[in-house]
Amino acid sequence: MALLQEIKVPLLAVNDTSLTVVEIAFPGGHRVKTGDPVLVFETSKTTYDALAETDGYIQYLCETGKDYEVNYIAARIFSEPDEAGQTTVPGLLPIVEAGEPAARANRADWTGETLFSLEAGLLIDSSGIGRSIFKGKDFVTRRDVEMATGSYHPVPSRHTDSPRSAPTAPIRPARQASTLPDPAKTIVERLSRNKKKEIEYLGEVQSGGLTSTINVTVETEDIFVHINQSLKYLKDSLLPVILYETGRLLRKYRVLNSYFSGDAIAFYKEVNIGFAIDLEDKGLKVLKIAHTDSKTIAAIEEEILSLSNRYLDELLGIGDLSDISFTVTDLSSQGVSFFRPLVNTMNSAILGVSSIDEKLQRMILSLTFDHRVTEGKTVAAFLSDLKGRLESYRPDGTTVPVEDVSCFRCLKTLQEDLAGTGFVKCITPHGKDGYICQACLKGF
Amino acid sequence: MIKSVINHRIIKEAVRIRKVEEKFLELFSQGKLNGTVHTCVGQEFSAIAFAGQLKKKDFIFSNHRCHGHYLAFTGDTRGLLAELLGKASGTSGGIGSSQHLCNGNFFSNGIQGGIVPVAAGYALANKLKGNGAIGIVFIGDGTLGEGALYETMNIISKWGIPLMIVCENNFYAQSTPQQVNLAGDITARAEAFGIETFEGNTWDPESLMKQAGEAIEYVRTETRPCFFLVETYRLNAHSKGDDDRDPADVARFREKDFLHIFARESADYHQIYEEAINLEIDELVAEIEKEAELPMEKYFETVQHVTGNDWTALEPVNKRQVELINHFFRDILQSDEQVVFLGEDILSPYGGAFKVAKELSFLRPGRVFSTPISEAAITGVSNGLALNGFKPFAEIMFGDFMTLAFDQIVNHASKFHHMFNKKVNCPVVIRTPMGGRRGYGPTHSQTLDKFLVGIDNVKTVALNTLMDPALIYRSVYAERHPVLVIENKTDYGKKILQQPMNSFVCERNDDAFPVIRIRPPVSEPTLTVVAYGGMADIVSGILEDIFRHTDLIPELIVPSLISCLPIDLIAASAAKTGRLAVVEEGTAFSGIGSEVVSAVMEMTDARIKVKRISAYPVPIPSVRSLENIVLPGRDRIIQELKESFS
Ligand SMILES: Cc1ncc(C[n+]2csc(CCOP(=O)(O)OP(=O)(O)O)c2C)c(N)n1
Repeated sequence: MALLQEIKVPLLAVNDTSLTVVEIAFPGGHRVKTGDPVLVFETSKTTYDALAETDGYIQYLCETGKDYEVNYIAARIFSEPDEAGQTTVPGLLPIVEAGEPAARANRADWTGETLFSLEAGLLIDSSGIGRSIFKGKDFVTRRDVEMATGSYHPVPSRHTDSPRSAPTAPIRPARQASTLPDPAKTIVERLSRNKKKEIEYLGEVQSGGLTSTINVTVETEDIFVHINQSLKYLKDSLLPVILYETGRLLRKYRVLNSYFSGDAIAFYKEVNIGFAIDLEDKGLKVLKIAHTDSKTIAAIEEEILSLSNRYLDELLGIGDLSDISFTVTDLSSQGVSFFRPLVNTMNSAILGVSSIDEKLQRMILSLTFDHRVTEGKTVAAFLSDLKGRLESYRPDGTTVPVEDVSCFRCLKTLQEDLAGTGFVKCITPHGKDGYICQACLKGF
Repeated sequence: MIKSVINHRIIKEAVRIRKVEEKFLELFSQGKLNGTVHTCVGQEFSAIAFAGQLKKKDFIFSNHRCHGHYLAFTGDTRGLLAELLGKASGTSGGIGSSQHLCNGNFFSNGIQGGIVPVAAGYALANKLKGNGAIGIVFIGDGTLGEGALYETMNIISKWGIPLMIVCENNFYAQSTPQQVNLAGDITARAEAFGIETFEGNTWDPESLMKQAGEAIEYVRTETRPCFFLVETYRLNAHSKGDDDRDPADVARFREKDFLHIFARESADYHQIYEEAINLEIDELVAEIEKEAELPMEKYFETVQHVTGNDWTALEPVNKRQVELINHFFRDILQSDEQVVFLGEDILSPYGGAFKVAKELSFLRPGRVFSTPISEAAITGVSNGLALNGFKPFAEIMFGDFMTLAFDQIVNHASKFHHMFNKKVNCPVVIRTPMGGRRGYGPTHSQTLDKFLVGIDNVKTVALNTLMDPALIYRSVYAERHPVLVIENKTDYGKKILQQPMNSFVCERNDDAFPVIRIRPPVSEPTLTVVAYGGMADIVSGILEDIFRHTDLIPELIVPSLISCLPIDLIAASAAKTGRLAVVEEGTAFSGIGSEVVSAVMEMTDARIKVKRISAYPVPIPSVRSLENIVLPGRDRIIQELKESFS
């Protein structure tokens, strides 16, 4: 007759002052053995199995899907089955939503009668489970019974229980993982919700197995001399310029601004480049710069900043994350010499930005693309265009002019130009970005 | 030839009234007056003889044709001019204009006959105060068609209320000559109620002054009402250009008109007076025209209602609701001189149809008034008492009879405060038992709540059996504006919070008119239900059944102030549950449920499935089997919830 173990909400990371209970392994009152995982908590990054350290009978003081403060006693193991059935003095209170009366906090602390809806009753009778497993609950609905018997499949209905939140798929651990880890040899940390999403996200294009990566080297000597003048905050960063130039190029390379959809290619009408970000345990996210192709470098820079701030403050809206037509992942601050990025879902390509090699004064751009949509030749052309555009920011005329720069009026290319003063970037009468030669601009 | 020796002060006064009225017509034709004017040109001496001979402590209630009365009683030419010119400095801030004046003890309102019971209540208040003040209410001969007048004549005679009714008989009601609409004799009407009558006319001002003085003296010394019929004639149109009378007829009366004769026979005096007064009026108008109008924020500002979110557990009270209400009235009748209780059949031992007034008349005979069957007058008298410093609680025997009191609620109690630019408050309380389930049949069972909400400046409160009604009544008692209290016939006999609700937490917030919430103790609710009044008792009793049958965990929200619903609270709950049902005993169309649902939808973007459960739109049958179907009961509520939400 004893309380053998109290299972408290663990402190796993300083940022996580509360954890979510994502799985309750046994019905309340059930027998457990040493080493049994009895509860699964989730942090912002990972999941954690709470194990029974003793044989006994489990009593739960928590519910799945709810958040509990660190140190809250979420479960207890008793030596006798009837003890586990009784609810005793609660430990620390679980977290309650702001403004809610404290009374509601006594979540699993109901000592009154448990009411079963008729549907719940019928289901219990037909499934053969005992009503006693619901002890401690005030109301038992059909859904509660389905959850208990593992037959709960939420139907996307017009009227969900929480109408404000977007419907989320039930989190089902990826059980299909072929080789089950051996607990004797490994420490198993379950995948967090975020990581699972990431897998889903990247799995789609890559699982086709038809991706390929092409790299190009960009000369970067003195490149920031001019660029830093047009940057306000992100000095010594190529990201704003890369987004700017890529945005404009994607209008030409439409196929890189598209995605594979079964037997068709879906071309995005807009150029919305996303940039990947993964800071301070907030998880990997791709944030959208809408209409990248019509924004100035300064505007892009501002937007990178404001999006990053919202990301850190967890204030991103669904609009910040959706309808991204192409992705840039910039690892230049991480000292990587080069890497192979993975194409995101509903994209056909991703551009990886490696660090600048200070000695050699160059950097590598890598573009991974979906072969089902495009092919190496196009990508190579794109990368060479991009390289040219980026290198054109370098101060002296040592860079090779890009063939493609031509005056929109007289169609003269930059190479053909004799004036030696270069072309002026302009907006054409059709609202497009373009170049105009000095002669056409000023007149003869 | 003027035979009278009437003094020139009075003549000057009459000239002033006439000149002001003529100025109004002039300003009107220049488009400077908004709305309408009813001038009393030709009737000025009636105003002077009555209003002009009252004491300062006395009072006047007047009608649409009130400018002369106002000037004779208050002397406030400037306030009147500014009022009609729509200026903030007007006597009613420009809100009331021509027909809605208020200055000290002077009041006018544009509802024919409606002011008569209000004046009676005001006079009754003076009598209760014992201050020796009396009052006059002016009506036109056309108003002899209004029932409220006769209800009031009966009461003022029976109760010995010192009020003089002055009937200005100008032989027309708007466009209609008297012989078209008036049957029988005028003074005989009053005589039939045992009211002393007097007569006079404005063509002989000197006699009229004398007769009026005598009548005033009579009312004051006898503390009795009187009825004074004064013959007169208006020389101008009813309001502006609307005159179909025979011009020859009008001309004949113009010849008879005293000021006309005076102008002819004492032309030099008349000219001096007229010029001086015209100059004064012109100067005033010039000055007033430069003034500002009342800014909107001084008249009305929207207040965002926030429902209290501090909750206290509710306690059962082992007493019947009716006893608790009765005890509340015992307490305040004994502790507060200003409290008056009125209603039909409320004298003890009977103590009212539902016994709320039990023993009150024994306890406080001077403050408990059993009234004739006169809902309009009961309510009007209560309004008058409230305007004159008392706290009246009027009982309308059945909720269905509120229709007979409606004019007093909507056109009087509701409007006084604002239309007199906040110079007065009318803290009247009208209580009534509402609802069916007693087999009383069509005219004694209907729930009229939806007609009783949305009345400006009137709070409508519904009691319930979940909390001590005294708590709600204390807030009603403290209110400074009109309150309608809806009680429930079947709730009277029930004790407080007696139904077992072991599976739920019952709590109330700390609002003056508390909101009750009955919620699951642990689980999150998945259905929001709103019910109030008698339905709160029924719905709270079947919450467990609702859960069993619908598989939804209900949270019940019970407002007590139904004229201002706790929408924020309901919306927050419904946003979480995604389901909102409103149960009411009235019919659904344009009802409380409709209001709740639309206001909730305005407040939240959440997707919420909604349902109104209500009575069927037919008169309530007396036969039990049908009554039980027409009104929403346990089975129908569960059935409709199931159909709507699963
Ligand atoms: C309850 C009500 N019904 C109708 C009217 C419209 N109305 C205003 S004055 C009037 C005629 C009133 O005639 P009477 O009482 O003889 O007064 P007089 O205009 O002759 O002074 C009418 C019908 C009203 N104001 N109130």
